[in-house]
Amino acid sequence: MSDDEPTIIGNKRVLGIVPSRPPVGERKDPRADDQVMVWPHLLVRHAVVAVAVLLVVLVLAVLFDAPLREIANPTVTPNPEKAPWYFAALQELLANFHPVVAGVLVPGGIVLGLLALPYIDRNPATAPSRRKVAVATFTFFLVAWIALTIVGFAFRGPSWSWVWPWQEWYGEL
Amino acid sequence: MSMSSKLRQTTIGRSIWRTPDAVTERDRAAKHWASFLLHIYPVKVRRDELSFRYSWFLGVISLVLFASLFVSGVYLMFFYVPSPATAYGDIENLQTEVAFGQFIRNVHRWSAHLMVLAVAAHMSRVFYRGAYKPPREFNWVIGVILLVMTLLMSFTGYLLPWDQLAYWAITVGSSMAAFVPWAGDQAQQTLLAGDSVGSATLVRFYVLHVFVLPGTMVMLVMFHLWRWRKDSMLSHPEGGDHE
Repeated sequence: MSDDEPTIIGNKRVLGIVPSRPPVGERKDPRADDQVMVWPHLLVRHAVVAVAVLLVVLVLAVLFDAPLREIANPTVTPNPEKAPWYFAALQELLANFHPVVAGVLVPGGIVLGLLALPYIDRNPATAPSRRKVAVATFTFFLVAWIALTIVGFAFRGPSWSWVWPWQEWYGEL
Repeated sequence: MSMSSKLRQTTIGRSIWRTPDAVTERDRAAKHWASFLLHIYPVKVRRDELSFRYSWFLGVISLVLFASLFVSGVYLMFFYVPSPATAYGDIENLQTEVAFGQFIRNVHRWSAHLMVLAVAAHMSRVFYRGAYKPPREFNWVIGVILLVMTLLMSFTGYLLPWDQLAYWAITVGSSMAAFVPWAGDQAQQTLLAGDSVGSATLVRFYVLHVFVLPGTMVMLVMFHLWRWRKDSMLSHPEGGDHE
């Protein structure tokens, strides 16, 4: 197509012709690595999450009152004596192992292990199938911790004896 | 023209927002430089960060609960004196006499329990995503410290109502400190400010709960989010390797 001889189609001059397919690849598919604007795409999601969380808190606060027992009395020890629920796993360990193990070595080891994790696990892979040891180890500790927490929280009664939570309830929040 | 954009174009509006309405991507990017609240966010993120599956939004959930605790906690502080002579009565008074007292206390309590769950779940999700890998190692470390501080916040707050539940839970919880090798007694005495839970313990836990721990946490959270923003556009170490 030259300038001196314009191509005319249906009374219109054709300026250029493009191929029917884009020169590289097919249609553009959204990829995980694409960049998207935070405003509004991420912000609107965060706003929805925030409202949902506050709604859950609101409903819980309307339905359930925070507990308040009798005034603190150092001379009356309740039975069972329970630590807050997030320490129930430690208390359960304490009932079964030497205090130095359950009260110091295990919690200290967990915190130090977590802090050191990125410096111990130098495998660059992120797919679970290529980091089986890390995933298995973490999952083992996580499941054990959740199980111990549930046992200590709900399955322990007077003098740390075993109880079934649907028969007797000693959990405190 | 919408109400908000009219407001923005007044002299006062321009002085506050400093940016035009976000019509183009360029305007939206400009907001991130001009807006105080938006400056915690990056301008762009990777598309997969938008999906629920990526993070389950657990970091945001933790932050919202922290904010809920901050606001409800300030309200509770107006009606509470940390002394064994007054603490329990203050809580009773709060629940019966103070406007919305019982409700705000409930909000504080349930937000606290939920925050422990949310922070622990956030850590687990980050682990399974492999998001602690280089160059994000140190932000993981900050996150672990924040988890420990969340537990300490919950633990110190647990004592404040000064009822049987509080007193004995703290007695049992702090008894573990006595098993620290060589320095067990000192560790427990430092924690309790005495041999057993008493008025000095209550003051110590109160100051930690309302000032030292939240102040430190706010600074650590700012650092945590700053690092998140800096690293937000990095692709995965083995780009596209995740499921």
